[in-house]
Amino acid sequence: MLGETKPGTQCAEFDALLADAIDGILNGQQRERFEQHKAQCVACSTLFAEVSNGRTWLDEIEEVAPPRNLVHNILAATSGAAQAAARFVPRISRWERLRREVAVVLAPVLTPRFAMSMGMAFFSIMLVLNMAQIRIKDLTPHNLSHTFYSSQNKLMRYYENMRLVYEIESRVRNLRNASDENEREEQNRRRQKSHDQTQEQNQNNEPDRHEHGEYSPERNFQLLASLDGNKQCPLTYTVTLVHRRREI
Amino acid sequence: MEDAQVVVQLVRRCASGDAIAWEEIVQRFHRRIYNICYRFAGSADDAQDLTQEVFIKIYRTVGSFDGEKASFNTWLTTVTRNLLVDHFRKTRNDRSTDSIDAVQGAEDDGLTMADRLASDTPSPQVHVESRERREMVHKALQQISPELREAVILRDLQDMDYREIAQVLKVPEGTVKSRINRGRGELARLLQRTYRQAL
Repeated sequence: MLGETKPGTQCAEFDALLADAIDGILNGQQRERFEQHKAQCVACSTLFAEVSNGRTWLDEIEEVAPPRNLVHNILAATSGAAQAAARFVPRISRWERLRREVAVVLAPVLTPRFAMSMGMAFFSIMLVLNMAQIRIKDLTPHNLSHTFYSSQNKLMRYYENMRLVYEIESRVRNLRNASDENEREEQNRRRQKSHDQTQEQNQNNEPDRHEHGEYSPERNFQLLASLDGNKQCPLTYTVTLVHRRREI
Repeated sequence: MEDAQVVVQLVRRCASGDAIAWEEIVQRFHRRIYNICYRFAGSADDAQDLTQEVFIKIYRTVGSFDGEKASFNTWLTTVTRNLLVDHFRKTRNDRSTDSIDAVQGAEDDGLTMADRLASDTPSPQVHVESRERREMVHKALQQISPELREAVILRDLQDMDYREIAQVLKVPEGTVKSRINRGRGELARLLQRTYRQAL
């Protein structure tokens, strides 16, 4: 009996009966003992009040409505998935298939680093084209061939012009050389003439001049220096004078 | 035919591959399972995922259900509880950083604005106050220990009897009652403290 046991045991018994007491399913005798102990024991009375309050608080909670698509999701995740998969096989167009294959092949290339490099390269190319005043729309096959032939023509014209210029220059140089040569010959002739005149004058005025070594190819003299034959001389010197022709 | 027998029939049909029977089972029990998951996990998103997991598991193991050992309801609750315990263990670290805002607005009654305007429900202020109280209790429920929480949820929110709860939790009935009492007491203390702070 609850009231007849020791206080510790009474509290344990009270604790065991508490849930049923809250539910209101204690029979008459049990309820009487329970109420008696509750009135005597402050701790058990406080416990009852707390548990009772907790139960009241929990009554506040209502059932929540599940998301609308929950049943659909469950069925799709279980039996519906297999049925749906069997029923519906999505058709993939040729273009889509090709796109997927290309995407798989290009997957290693399509990285941020590669994209950055490509961007830089593109920027550089555009900068160069801009500086060279080449527009993108000019880079069609027709325009490219047109540009190629016009550049070729320009190059050919330039070459021809250059050739003409060189040819003229060459001719002018030849003419200049030729005139210089004539002038030089004329000058030589004049010098020769004046020289001859001078020589002639010298011959007339100074006949022994030849003995002093006038430079002339026709005049090679061999001077033998010898002493008098009567005198004994052990050494004989032969002096050869080579007359150079005087350069004009 | 009693409701329990109808369920047993459905389960048998489902085990033999009847998709309609399976859909009927999902329709019957998804609300209850969702509510258990929501009250235990605290988040609507987690509750949705967990409910799906529960039904996937039931779909795979429905053949192993033995109607003589326990009712389908008890079996279903046991599966749910086991998954919730697993989920609790997995997300133990995440919970410390969970925002309390995560539960805000989760407890929606599913009514549109037009429904609310047309209905005979109390004024918006009363509705807001009631909703705030519910959210407060829901939050407090998340703060008590999982052993006490599951017992309280099954008893006070799912109206299961002590014998069934003992079967689900695999503990004696006396332990179930004790846990329920402690859980209710702890919840009341937490809410009392919250009220004092609010005042």
